[in-house]
Amino acid sequence: MSYAYLFKYIIIGDTGVGKSCLLLQFTDKRFQPVHDLTIGVEFGARMITIDNKPIKLQIWDTAGQESFRSITRSYYRGAAGALLVYDITRQRETFNHLASWLEDARQHANANMTIMLIGNKCDLAHRRAVSTEEGEQFAKEHGLIFMEASAKTAQNVEEAFISTAATIYKKIQDGVFDVSNESYGIKVGYGGIPGPSGGRDGSASQAGGCCS
Amino acid sequence: MQESAELHDLSDDSDYAASQQQQQQELRSVVRTDSGKKIVESESEGAEVVFLKDNVTIHPTQFASERISGRLRLIKQASSLFMTWIPYKERADSVGAVTEKDRNLYTIRAVPVTDIRSIRRHTPTFGWQYLIIVLSSGLAFPPLYFYNGGVREFLATLKQHVFLVRSADDVNVFLVNDFQDPLQKSLSSLELPGAVSIANSSSTPTFANSVPPNENFEGADVGTSSTSQYGGRHGLKVNDPARDLSIQVLEKFSLVTKFARLTTSNILREIQNDGFLANDRKKPSQSLPVNNHETGLDEVQSVPDTISVTPDPLEIFIVWTSIEGLSDAELCPVKQKALCRKENQGEEAATRVGTFELVDCKEFDKITLVWGQPRQPPLGSEEWATFLDAEGRVTDSKALRKRIFYGGLEQQIRNEVWKFLLGYHEYDSTGAEREYLASVKKVEYETLKYQWQSVSPAQSRRFTKFRERKGLIDKDVVRTDRSSSFYDGDDNPNVILLRDILLTYSFYNFDLGYCQGMSDLLSPILYVMKDESESFWCFVALMERLGPNFNRDQNGMHSQLFALSKLVELLDSPLHNYFRQNDCLNYFFCFRWVLIQFKREFDFEKMMRLWEVLWTHYQSEHFHLYVCVAILKKHGKKIMGEEMDFDTLLKFINELSGQIDLDATLRDAEALCICAGENGEACIPPGTPPSLPVEADLLYPLQDDTDT
Repeated sequence: MSYAYLFKYIIIGDTGVGKSCLLLQFTDKRFQPVHDLTIGVEFGARMITIDNKPIKLQIWDTAGQESFRSITRSYYRGAAGALLVYDITRQRETFNHLASWLEDARQHANANMTIMLIGNKCDLAHRRAVSTEEGEQFAKEHGLIFMEASAKTAQNVEEAFISTAATIYKKIQDGVFDVSNESYGIKVGYGGIPGPSGGRDGSASQAGGCCS
Repeated sequence: MQESAELHDLSDDSDYAASQQQQQQELRSVVRTDSGKKIVESESEGAEVVFLKDNVTIHPTQFASERISGRLRLIKQASSLFMTWIPYKERADSVGAVTEKDRNLYTIRAVPVTDIRSIRRHTPTFGWQYLIIVLSSGLAFPPLYFYNGGVREFLATLKQHVFLVRSADDVNVFLVNDFQDPLQKSLSSLELPGAVSIANSSSTPTFANSVPPNENFEGADVGTSSTSQYGGRHGLKVNDPARDLSIQVLEKFSLVTKFARLTTSNILREIQNDGFLANDRKKPSQSLPVNNHETGLDEVQSVPDTISVTPDPLEIFIVWTSIEGLSDAELCPVKQKALCRKENQGEEAATRVGTFELVDCKEFDKITLVWGQPRQPPLGSEEWATFLDAEGRVTDSKALRKRIFYGGLEQQIRNEVWKFLLGYHEYDSTGAEREYLASVKKVEYETLKYQWQSVSPAQSRRFTKFRERKGLIDKDVVRTDRSSSFYDGDDNPNVILLRDILLTYSFYNFDLGYCQGMSDLLSPILYVMKDESESFWCFVALMERLGPNFNRDQNGMHSQLFALSKLVELLDSPLHNYFRQNDCLNYFFCFRWVLIQFKREFDFEKMMRLWEVLWTHYQSEHFHLYVCVAILKKHGKKIMGEEMDFDTLLKFINELSGQIDLDATLRDAEALCICAGENGEACIPPGTPPSLPVEADLLYPLQDDTDT
């Protein structure tokens, strides 16, 4: 399938916060509470459209357990976007670890990686242990985009992945990335424009036309 | 590297040709004094030495000091050209463990040059130039090191007498052909029968006679130095800058060839004992019970007869050349029989092509030497009973492990036999002792379990580590093999058992605790044992070996991945180089394979089969690493051809899950393991999981486990 751009995403966060479920909801539009725990890394992919351009998201779903951090770090390389996930019902374990996840990401990913903070399981509001404001505050402090979502009800799942892509796309348009350098986690596809210098509006309609 | 000048030009070099002629005249006189050789006898019938080089040397082991020097000659008799390499008698330079036996073993006695398929020239930056000569059968001689130079002359001389063309794939590979037949003068000759019958040539001695009759592969150490010298060897490697990759290639070759010869001689001996062959059997390469449709045509006919009466297929190591498109029908009957229960014969054949190769795949793409053994049916309960004495002791644990290595187990006896393989039961325990042990261990398990069961809610509130651990396990057991009917559904009691055993283990081994992946290892054990306490103790035994996989610092994983990289370097240097150039040497793409022993890569039944094979530690304690190499090697061409980067590679490897042919992979892995021999084991630092830690030897005195 042709695409204008391919973005590499990585999903990180403590074990059991729902990383794999978010991915499955996004790629397959279903919630599967019983799936095998992730060892190492799993992959998912989906096409989305931004500004009428087909964009392929290649998503790396990582294992969350602390012991595997040294392995997980090798997956950051070349990611354009990261979804940093915590569980709103588990304040202590998952929200408090965000800083260390962020540190890993900053250290091992490229500096321009777009990070989206996701407070998952917002359907379980009655068991909420982290307030929306706390999440917003953390995101603001660290320059992240923020959203609460539910892999179970699909609330905000689509939005989380797409708005991350939109942010990356805007960075391309603004010339932040040299898209010919794949270490930014972006590949230019056949249906796409060669680079940020390719002009915005003209090429946008061109790319949009070739794939739907 | 002057040698890289076009070979085609060499024979036109008039200066060289002149010196060559002069040399030949000198040589002839030398040969005449070389008494006792049949060659000399036949020389009177018109044999002529057209090339002679002294101090052409092979290295039977990795130690440069252990070498066998000899004289390489090309001899023309009538219109045929023969190559010989005869080691010198005891000489000052033959130090080390080189024995007369080795000398015999490696001697090359009058090989018709028409039987040579290719010659690869190596011109390492450091050290001597050497040639690797591969026969049409696929057998390769150990690298011949030209201590006094002469590689160029050798090739030039050859070119004067046979049709020699440079391989289109590799400038250092020369394809040799029957110069007498113009039809074969094409690159496609690789696909054609390349050998001329030499059945009546008296100059080719019976090979089997040159090997002491008491030697067989089972008992033969695949190298010549002892296996307990890791430290010393390691030190030598570090201190010896001359030891480069080319030396490793050399080691590999020596071992392979030695193995192949031993094997061949075994087969020959068996055949001879059966009275099927007269003593006019010739070179091993022509005598193999294989699909030699590349070698002597007249040999092929006799093969099926001889092989079909060989008593035990397991004892036959089948060496065959790997030819693209080879069908099972072309294989010998034993092989056919073994294969006919395989579902996917097409793929079976395909996997033999280019999978495990004698030499680096780039170097000898089409010249692959493959050997293996047919898989056996799984061990069933009746046969299992034959391994036990009246009291229920396993009388010959090695035979048992070997049997399981080649066939696995039927499901209904797994619960009994796994306990031995895992080291929970000792092989020499009696049935009564094991029954008693089970009852004692059950009480012990209950005691351990009660430790966490008795934690009150109030205590739990003050016990963060316990709460975290329990929370993690609770979360993970419901995410373990839930697609299997044994664990599916809500409130499945087996899921509770998983939870209880893991939590009890995290108390039994509080330092290690619980880590993701453990539930994957426990789940099949519980499925097989169907008993909580027995499952626990089997899991404990397994974790004695695999526990380091879950160390927080991941050192157990890193040491295995490191050993894997060394093995790939040894067994597939082009792939290794590719990984190095593409920053993939951490081998993280094999992480899941190693962490949970390929649990996620096969369906449940196949995975259990693989596990029991691994647990036999029959060929190697680290057989799983050879399985990794086998899979990587099988896909090496694709990986390199598609220029996969780390990300793509990781994704590719991940997606192999469910696509791996287990039987073919096991065969490949075994061949690689044998091929690597002790050099392979030298790649694996002591203590690398699943080796038992030294101090645990007393607790788990597993028989024969150190003999691999």
